[in-house]
Amino acid sequence: MRTSIYGLGLILYLGLTSLLVLYFPQSVLAFLLFEASLLFIYSAPLPRGTRLALAAVALVVLMPLLGMINGYYLEIATQIGIFVALALGLNIVVGFAGLLNLGFVAFYAIGAYLWAIFGSTQANQFIAGNLFPLAPSWFFVFLVLGALAGALTGLLLGLPLLRLRGDYLAIVTLGFAEVIRALANNLDRPINFTNGPRGITPIQKPPLFFQPLLEWMGLRPEPAALYPLYFYFLVLLLVVLIIIVIRRLEGSPVGRAWKAIREDEVAAAAMGIPVVRMKLLAFALGASFASAMGVLFAAKQVFINPESFTFMESIGVLAMVILGGMGSTAGAILGATVVTILNLQLLKGLSLWLNGLRQSGIILTLPLLGSYDLSQLPAQFEPAKYERLVFGLILIVMVIFRPRGILSPGRGGGRSDGAA
Amino acid sequence: MDGMALGFMYALIALGYTMVYGVLGFINFAHSEIFVIGAFVGAEILLLLEASGSLAAFHPAFVLLVLILAGMALSGIVAVGLERVAYRPLRSAPRLVPLISAIGASFFLQDLIRLLEGLWRNAFNLTYPSLDLLERSVKLGSAVELPFKSLLVIATALLMLLGLYLFVHRTRVGTAIRAVAQDPEAAALMGIPVNRTIALTFFVGGAMGGAAGVLFGLHYSLINPYTGFIPGIKSFTAAVLGGVGNIPGAMVGGIVLGVLEALAASYLSFLTGGAVGAEYTDFLAFAVLILILIFRPRGILGEEVREEGA
Amino acid sequence: MALLEVRDASKRFGGLLALQRVSLNVEEGMIASLIGPNGAGKTTLFHILSGIYRADEGEVRFRGRSLNGLRPDQITAAGIGRTFQNIRLFAHMTVLENVLVGMHCRVNRSLLDILLRARRFRRDEKEAERRAEDLLRLVGLQGREEEWAGHLPYGDQRRLEIARALASRPQLLLLDEPTAGMNPQEARSLMGLLQRLMGEFVQALLLVEHNMRVVMGISDQVTVLDYGEKIAEGSPVEVRGNPRVIEAYLGRGKWGGDA
Repeated sequence: MRTSIYGLGLILYLGLTSLLVLYFPQSVLAFLLFEASLLFIYSAPLPRGTRLALAAVALVVLMPLLGMINGYYLEIATQIGIFVALALGLNIVVGFAGLLNLGFVAFYAIGAYLWAIFGSTQANQFIAGNLFPLAPSWFFVFLVLGALAGALTGLLLGLPLLRLRGDYLAIVTLGFAEVIRALANNLDRPINFTNGPRGITPIQKPPLFFQPLLEWMGLRPEPAALYPLYFYFLVLLLVVLIIIVIRRLEGSPVGRAWKAIREDEVAAAAMGIPVVRMKLLAFALGASFASAMGVLFAAKQVFINPESFTFMESIGVLAMVILGGMGSTAGAILGATVVTILNLQLLKGLSLWLNGLRQSGIILTLPLLGSYDLSQLPAQFEPAKYERLVFGLILIVMVIFRPRGILSPGRGGGRSDGAA
Repeated sequence: MDGMALGFMYALIALGYTMVYGVLGFINFAHSEIFVIGAFVGAEILLLLEASGSLAAFHPAFVLLVLILAGMALSGIVAVGLERVAYRPLRSAPRLVPLISAIGASFFLQDLIRLLEGLWRNAFNLTYPSLDLLERSVKLGSAVELPFKSLLVIATALLMLLGLYLFVHRTRVGTAIRAVAQDPEAAALMGIPVNRTIALTFFVGGAMGGAAGVLFGLHYSLINPYTGFIPGIKSFTAAVLGGVGNIPGAMVGGIVLGVLEALAASYLSFLTGGAVGAEYTDFLAFAVLILILIFRPRGILGEEVREEGA
Repeated sequence: MALLEVRDASKRFGGLLALQRVSLNVEEGMIASLIGPNGAGKTTLFHILSGIYRADEGEVRFRGRSLNGLRPDQITAAGIGRTFQNIRLFAHMTVLENVLVGMHCRVNRSLLDILLRARRFRRDEKEAERRAEDLLRLVGLQGREEEWAGHLPYGDQRRLEIARALASRPQLLLLDEPTAGMNPQEARSLMGLLQRLMGEFVQALLLVEHNMRVVMGISDQVTVLDYGEKIAEGSPVEVRGNPRVIEAYLGRGKWGGDA
């Protein structure tokens, strides 16, 4: 009886918030409430099948419908999806295997540049024959290639580096990411691989292979309208795949080994776990997720340049993982959602609000402090640009007050008595 | 010559890293921002003086002194505050945790500086007003010309290093720092106020960084809240190169790295026939870091890295 | 050929000579004990045997094969398991998970099988769980599979450590102070457990112990270390009356008489 009330309640909530978003398309709050429904679905005391069904309805039916009406939200949802995938990847590296990778964005960049180079005319610069850009359907091949490239790079990087102590490893991964960015910036001489700071564009998008099907159904939508939905579903699909992979590994000897390594590396080795090999696996796997997403990112944005892949992005993803709880899959998803929304919507909203204030001509009169003409608010004070502040604050606060994250795994585990 | 100046700057900043590492055993990632704060302090003072027209009124040496002292002071204070807020609560956590906090602090400070400068001055890319003194150079014979800028950096850095050395080895407080670095528990048992000593270490390390910041600003003129990042990483590389936790090591590492970089900038394109140009000098620092950590983690002057036991 | 042969093992830490040319043999079917005052080097030797430290000099052979330079996980796979002096369980994992981790080197870890949830994989996992439950029953922890390891009372944690160590099917089990902190009743119970292990689960045991009743009660061979050197070895009776041993424990000249 109770469960059906919950179920009903959730369906109602979903319906309500969808309507809210429909009628108040400018309201950030409405969208937030709608997205919060996923959180409620996750934590509701309902059987797993029901929850999955509800989540599927929200993500596969409602979201796209809302997105068709308001393209901006679809874009945000897609962005969230991409960052969720990145956070899940980093979660394996940091949360499961306990390796602090500060240069995660490097793998993202590798995947992106891989497709960018071969999916555009760029490759013609160094491979003769005018063979490029490759046909759009190669995109799917490159998704796999990208994942492999990421895994390979992760492996090559990890082999010498994983023996390093934790903090040194962190700095070296940071260095690696900067090296990748420097390469992207500078590999336009003597042979133009990456076109340097100018970036690469235009990049092929994946083919609309289902277009004939739609036409048969009598629909003739504009490609421009179709692509955002297309990418949304692609991202969703990839995220689901990634979650499946992670869940399967978690409930296997590999997942247990990772947990053990995180708990006590020496004891884990003494129990027969080949620690370095397991770390490499986590490292390479996380990298492969990032690279695959990179390929998708390149196709979606149509234009990439080295500036999309800076240290700040790496730290952003790290903040997501830490916020949600290292080692927790649901936590990583939550963290990614919260941070992305924070950046894309809240900060921007704040900026707009301040701009509005600036132009309103209002003069604030505060007791004791005198009056302050709001148009005098310095133009440089642009909250949308203060992502670092947010990331930094999240990192510090979370690590000091809630090191296990908001949704941390294994709550209730104590320390063993006595020593250690 | 430029290489030497650069090297000494790295050495100064590296000192901050190495001191904190020696005492607390972790990397103060936010040190690069402490460094930049010094640069901004210098810039602000100079700009204020310039705006009020009194820049020319004071003797340049006096101005320089004020700049450096102010930079040191503020950087030191911020460093202490940083320790108190972001690191002390994590004293007992595994090593990676304060590192994450440090990264957060680094980012936070970067934007905080931008915020404050933005509110105060509506700009955060600052240029140091030029001082006549700095534009001159000293001629040794007919071939060698030493720019005053570089001489200033080297001279100041040497003075600081000397002062630090004397401080750490000849004063009681300095010895306390060394004691805490070796064994905090024993030091506490000997009656050394560990918290205060650690705070002092941060102050001194921060002050060194702040001085380097002022010098950096004087030397390169253009600063923004994010300019600390790359020199920070390079100085950390220098600290590791020389042996982290080791004060003379930081100096040696800094100089070596600075000279290497200057050489690379000048000769890299020549050596590789134009394929690899001067843009790759940043690259060099990272490459050095990776190579050192793989092949000789203890650095040039460092001690054996202890084996991981049970 | 003995199951375990240690020949002239030495280990130095900076200026400290922790082990000095220590030799030791453990035969199949034997319960051997390693005793000595604190700091004598017993745990150091254990660390060398399990691969956490590397001996500076000397050789360790297990079933005729040299263990020098092998990683801890390789040594475990070769057939040596261990417990730790100050309990190193995986506190934030369940009792069952701890034992399952111990089986890591003996289970099917094919990635493909895992990702595809192949029938073979599911069957192996069920098998592993069953074995883990058997081991837990052996040490008396049945029914508590889902508890957090870190929440167990002290004595149960020690038992869990043994179950975990047994999971890798070791032929030689190293136990570092297995009865530390236990009252006499618990210690006796553990003694019984250790004896039950012989022959059926392990071929030999090597204990580091301070509890003399346990040492004398179940050991076939006792080796005494002092300041990193072996000063005596033999049956419990022989060692007990050895004046050098008494001296090492009680100090020279002050007490006299026997222990």
